[in-house]
Amino acid sequence: VSLALEILVLPVLACLVLAGIHAYLGLHVLARGVIFVDLAFAQVAALGMAAALLAGHALGSDAAYSHALVFTAAGAALFATVRTNATHHAEGGGGADSIPQEAIIGIVYAVAAALTVMILDRLPQGGDQIKQLLVGDVLAVTGTEVARTAAVYAGIGLVHWLVRRPLLALSFGGEVSARRAWDFLFYFTFGVVVTSSVRIAGVLLVFAYLIVPAVAGALVSATVRGRLLVGWTVGFAVSVLGLTASYRWDLPPGAAVVSTFGAVLACIAGAHGIVVLARRARREGLRALSGIAAVVAGLVAIAGAFLAAVPGADHPWLNAAETVAPIVLTTFLTEGERRTFAESHAAIARGAAELDRLRALAVDVQWGTRELDPERRERLRQFLASRGEIVAGDRLVLATLRRHARHRQRFVVGLPLAMIGATAAFGLARHARAKRRSRPVAGDVQIRQR
Amino acid sequence: VVLPLLVAATISVAATTTDLRDLVAAVGGDRVSVESLTDPRHDPHAFEISPRQLVRLREARLLVRIGLDHEPWLRRAVGGLTTLPRDLDASRAVMLLGTETPRLRAERSAHVHAFGNTHYWLDPENARPLTLRILEELSALAPADRAVFEANRARFIARLDAGLSRWEQMLRPFAGARVVTAHDTWPYFARRFGLVVAASVEERPGVPPSAAYVARLVERMRATGVRVVIGEPAAPAALLRRIADRTGAQVVTLAPSVGSDSEAVDYLTLFDVNVRRLATALAP
Repeated sequence: VSLALEILVLPVLACLVLAGIHAYLGLHVLARGVIFVDLAFAQVAALGMAAALLAGHALGSDAAYSHALVFTAAGAALFATVRTNATHHAEGGGGADSIPQEAIIGIVYAVAAALTVMILDRLPQGGDQIKQLLVGDVLAVTGTEVARTAAVYAGIGLVHWLVRRPLLALSFGGEVSARRAWDFLFYFTFGVVVTSSVRIAGVLLVFAYLIVPAVAGALVSATVRGRLLVGWTVGFAVSVLGLTASYRWDLPPGAAVVSTFGAVLACIAGAHGIVVLARRARREGLRALSGIAAVVAGLVAIAGAFLAAVPGADHPWLNAAETVAPIVLTTFLTEGERRTFAESHAAIARGAAELDRLRALAVDVQWGTRELDPERRERLRQFLASRGEIVAGDRLVLATLRRHARHRQRFVVGLPLAMIGATAAFGLARHARAKRRSRPVAGDVQIRQR
Repeated sequence: VVLPLLVAATISVAATTTDLRDLVAAVGGDRVSVESLTDPRHDPHAFEISPRQLVRLREARLLVRIGLDHEPWLRRAVGGLTTLPRDLDASRAVMLLGTETPRLRAERSAHVHAFGNTHYWLDPENARPLTLRILEELSALAPADRAVFEANRARFIARLDAGLSRWEQMLRPFAGARVVTAHDTWPYFARRFGLVVAASVEERPGVPPSAAYVARLVERMRATGVRVVIGEPAAPAALLRRIADRTGAQVVTLAPSVGSDSEAVDYLTLFDVNVRRLATALAP
């Protein structure tokens, strides 16, 4: 446990720092509808670094950093100008208002990436280091990095707090004078944050920290303050959960945190949906659920029909049911097949346990914590390889038995499911439509407004 | 009028890596013009062929490649050619390591190189069979020059032998030493010089290791007193440094290919550089 703490403490701190500023900036990004602007900035900063390398500066030198900063500022100026122009045209009724900001962001990203590739091709050394600026590995952060990043973000956070009125008005709608200047300030500080975050955590993780807390906040709350609180809660919780999961189940840390973000957002959205549904059910009775029930019944019908039509394909729902209750599978096997099934299961359990034991032995030998003479080492290697094949073979036997069962389940399970599901879906859908027609139109509007 | 004739008289060869290019040049001398299609400073798996290299490939009468799954881009590059050059898959010339991938893939353990580890040029002893195969191919294209090729190869082998005894002598004091590598690049090199690769930091290049894996690695390194982590230019430097800091080990960056480091200018200096750096790092 102490080792886990030692390994995880800095990454968790780094993630908390990221969550703090990105949950806030994400609100702006979401409100402005510039979802992928962080990717564009990360790429522009990488281009700046590549240009610094081309000019003969060492990576990590002050000169290289100022290159990245200047490029980021140029990107910020471009985004600020384009946005102002677009609004201007919209007011004047010009043609450019049909170009969304996302298009400009995408173009900047693509062109910056292409220019980086071309520069890296010309470089005397070190293309990989630039690439690593975009990948980042949160496990590798150092204490000074975390402290420096926290200080920079605290400063930027303070600036944003001091001028919160014009910045919030710009993003969430409102009257502001000197739009261009405020827009530039927003994009420039945003660019600085994203660039240093990406170096620590990589584009994938930074994107998740930026967007997911903001979306979770928007789902739950309508005020900026409420969204920020929800966003911070989600960001902090996911940081700890995701990194712990990475340790517990041996997963790549960045990917684990991003996936946890996805899972948590799905849970929040699911809970949100259930709350909305429950409210409607209280108002209209169980009939409110007929729409969703129709969808579920439709899915059952499709799953059954698919099993009947293509029994050889993957049917994960049936696999899951068979794992929970093996009888779903064994009823469809002959007496002999059932014996083979049990034997293969036992053989896999035995073989896997033995493989685990021998693999641990092989690792010990590799590290020198256990001695083994060369001949026995070679025998261990060969035994591991061949035993691995045998276990894989047993798994193949199980897969074959399952395929046999599928062909028998085809008509006994698949067809009835398809028919029952289709009938239920049809009935429920008619029920839902009848209900909608009978509902007064005025009431519908009233509900929406509420 | 004479110049184009002279140029035409050389055999145009395309090698996929700088290491193979050097071996071809060592045998072919001034009778061949050989160029590497890839730049060792870039990731060989994510390589994109440029128009000039495509022209090179089109003109080549012999293609020398690492083989196995080292050049996933090559199939597409060659696909557009109407006449194919002679093809030398160098992996057929050497004994491969790391071939025991299960045919039935049921295990979840990662294996980057499904057909065997591709870094076989990092055993200098392998240059012997490799140059022999190159000699055969070149002689088939220019039978009249066979004697020249044989003389060139003999000269190269003499220098290689001198190098081998020099390198083996430098690393002999550290025989049996355990090292941790960034990627699974060094099994051939380690076997030749009696080192033991205890583990790799990134089992799959580009996929960062899990926190638990790093923790186990650190624990093992501390327990067994591993003192050297072998990095390479494409390795995640920050992660290696952090692991080294926690274990008191030292990161030594080796050059996996000719030209991936400014000091490693040809096939023999590649080993001079790597052996010298490794011996310095392993010295107590």
